[in-house]
Amino acid sequence: MKGPQIAIENKTLGNGLRVVIAPDSAAPVVTVGVYYKIGFRLEPQGRSGFAHLFEHMMFQGSANAPKMEHIKLINSSGGVLNGSTMYDVTNYYQAVPSNALSRVLWLEADRMRALKVDDENLKNQRDVVKEEVRVNVLNQPYGGFPWLDMPAVAFRNWANAHNFYGDFADLDAASLADVQAFFKTYYLPNNAVLLILGDVKPEEGLSLAEKYFGDIPRGPEPPFADPNEPPQTEERCGRVEEKFGTLPAMAIGYLLPKRRSAEWYAMALLDQALHGGRAGRIYRDLVLEKQIAVEADGGVDDIFGYNGPAQMTTKILHKPEISSLATLAAFDAVIQEMQEKGIGADELEQLKIKWRSDYYAMLEGGRGGYMPKYGLMHLLACFSLFDGEPQLVNTILDGFSEVTPQQLQAVAKQHLRRENRAIVFRAPTNPGTQEAA
Amino acid sequence: MATPTTQPSSTVPALSAEREVNWPKRLKSKLANGLEIILVESHSIPRFHGELFFLTGNAAASGLAPGLAGMTATMVRTGTARRASRQIEEDLRRLGADLSTSAGQDTSSIAFAGLSEFAEPLLGLVNELAREASFPDAELERERRQKLEEVKLERTQPGFLAGERLRKVLFGEHPYAKISPSEKEVAAYQKEELKTVYRQSYTPENALLLLVGDFEPRAMLETVKRIFAPWSGKKPAVPQAAAPANPRGRRVYLVHVPGAVQTQILCGCHSITRKHPDWVKLGLTNSLYGGAFNSRLVMNIREAKGYTYSPRSAVNPLRQYGYFSVSAAVRHEVVAASLTEMFYEIDKLRSLPVPEGELADAQNYVSGLFSMGLATQDGLLSQIATVALNALPDDYLETYRDKVRGVTPDDLQSAAQKYFDSANMQIVVVGDRSKIETQAALFGDQEVFDAQGNRLS
Repeated sequence: MKGPQIAIENKTLGNGLRVVIAPDSAAPVVTVGVYYKIGFRLEPQGRSGFAHLFEHMMFQGSANAPKMEHIKLINSSGGVLNGSTMYDVTNYYQAVPSNALSRVLWLEADRMRALKVDDENLKNQRDVVKEEVRVNVLNQPYGGFPWLDMPAVAFRNWANAHNFYGDFADLDAASLADVQAFFKTYYLPNNAVLLILGDVKPEEGLSLAEKYFGDIPRGPEPPFADPNEPPQTEERCGRVEEKFGTLPAMAIGYLLPKRRSAEWYAMALLDQALHGGRAGRIYRDLVLEKQIAVEADGGVDDIFGYNGPAQMTTKILHKPEISSLATLAAFDAVIQEMQEKGIGADELEQLKIKWRSDYYAMLEGGRGGYMPKYGLMHLLACFSLFDGEPQLVNTILDGFSEVTPQQLQAVAKQHLRRENRAIVFRAPTNPGTQEAA
Repeated sequence: MATPTTQPSSTVPALSAEREVNWPKRLKSKLANGLEIILVESHSIPRFHGELFFLTGNAAASGLAPGLAGMTATMVRTGTARRASRQIEEDLRRLGADLSTSAGQDTSSIAFAGLSEFAEPLLGLVNELAREASFPDAELERERRQKLEEVKLERTQPGFLAGERLRKVLFGEHPYAKISPSEKEVAAYQKEELKTVYRQSYTPENALLLLVGDFEPRAMLETVKRIFAPWSGKKPAVPQAAAPANPRGRRVYLVHVPGAVQTQILCGCHSITRKHPDWVKLGLTNSLYGGAFNSRLVMNIREAKGYTYSPRSAVNPLRQYGYFSVSAAVRHEVVAASLTEMFYEIDKLRSLPVPEGELADAQNYVSGLFSMGLATQDGLLSQIATVALNALPDDYLETYRDKVRGVTPDDLQSAAQKYFDSANMQIVVVGDRSKIETQAALFGDQEVFDAQGNRLS
């Protein structure tokens, strides 16, 4: 089955900036993204949370666009913008009516060239980030579970094991000098990819990219710390207190095989077999049939978006009258069945159809209904920065459609082992509350 | 026309000529059984999105029990006369489809998306769920238990507690006052009540089917007719609830969460629905106040003062009544300071005309955002659903941007004066009482509740 083919033009400018254009004139909208190959995994030791704090600083002013100018110019052109920090990349993106393309490229180039921020900006954004951590993590039931709880339990290399949102002491210690040093080290044209998607002609996109970004000087190749982990030889467990929620919770994470290996493709479909919604085996068994759990979901979040150790993580909230051990035993029974009996041809066929449908949805879909082509942008950026091959967007589906039942079962046996996993128990400190009369 | 009048520095590239938007063509039809159909082509990928709406939801069912339409929707996917729950889920996966069933205050819906090549079987399944849901006892007991845990969990979320209290304060005895059922109410749901809601609401006369995606509309219409024509059922009679009292004077409602490390602020007042002639003006006023990143509230309490990560304001149109709200999660020490700034920015909009340049920026933003919503299948579906569900004029999409461009500084000021009802805003704060009580009390008489809704003082 031949899927939709995405037309792509790509080129590397003299300064090392990769440029990818994906033209589509259906709507008069253009999405522009800049991805830098630096995420929270490789932020400096003693500066946990810095990559994310830095992302905020990128909105605080550049050489020719003082604080708020970037945001103001995008909004007043009829566009929206945002940024996000991930494990191995940080992205900045905006979708605008296509008549604002030059303006967006000028703005992105201006902040790639020079960041112009002061101590007051840093203090302001440090305060904003602390409230972000409170609203998303510290003041929410199951806040940050399991993505902030798991790393310290699962990993031994600081790169993978630290608090990505940042300890407040580390955020307080971050200085303006740190900001400029981080910028000079990683925010380089030769460590980035520029993506222009939507209502743009390829030659126009490439010449505008050259015009605005071409003279930004290349920098020394950034030093990347080694994110690899020492081999794991035992199951790892940890416990975290849950301050607000009343249900006991646990997360079980298994290390993924290497990106784009045969096992990795099989693991993706295995993940679907286990976590694919209400038909997934874990939800079906633990929630629908045995009725042990209230929630049981998870899987590999953003499988294309990692360039280092990553996990397939199941998250379970279970009924208080059932013990954690009994819940884990029920989970293990699902895994064991997969290892022993494998998967039938019919079930695998269903999984492949669903996978294909989800992949197309990612090619088309936006983010939150307002950022058209976010999914395509993300794929093209990751394939460019991690694989050097944006064209993978049109061929990567083949790898998933070739997976056999035997491969899937083999991956279950080989990777879903206890020595390859970590478990976090999140235990309520205050189980049960009284309802109003 | 885009007319940016904020003058950026001379090096900023100007906007080039705006390209025309290709407005989506809609093929509308109505079956003899009353089912309304709207089909929209969008060929970007070989998929389609659909939603089967029913024009009644939790408000209409509130005479039986709160949240009953929501529970009915949950049950709809758990079994039909022909397929057991597990079969339904596997069939969906086989069709490469996602499906969800839900109910809000004013509508119930079955939303779905999948591969175009399997449109017919997916529509067949949707038809089956809409007509032949069987409400198996074991499924009901499981879903009830799930719902009970969900209802408990909600009470640990500051955002939920704030929203629940504000709605109660604004809508009193009206069904809109209740955003979620209590544990007792969920425990008391009767199967016959759920089946009554299903029988009355899930009828073609009460329904609208919307499909957006990669298909040929004429052929799709034939498919839809073949599948849905045999269905029958009348429009339900909906009891009219008495109009809610509009609360007078500022009052403060504190929801005490011991150990909270931040305070959730949510203020609100009655405003208008989408059908009101002032709707576009109010939308623009809201965008300029706190609806956009580049808005006065965000500039003030986030970018200048660093009180919060997430300030925003919103106009919330329910079918019968609308309300305006403003929210932020802030650190304890600045609760009074944040409220002061929220009211300062409201009162400033009420008192002083907005500069032309700032208005033009907001107009460009609102109209650009609107066009952006038409660029994806699900965005398009939601825009078209808004028009259809609110019975807005057929050319609503095509004329919306002109309406936005036509708003004047006077319009904005008068919208703020009418609908940003500063003197009568109801103020909800959710946090640790010991840290915020004296600050909050500065803004009005205060009532204190616990997270379960019990009045403490």
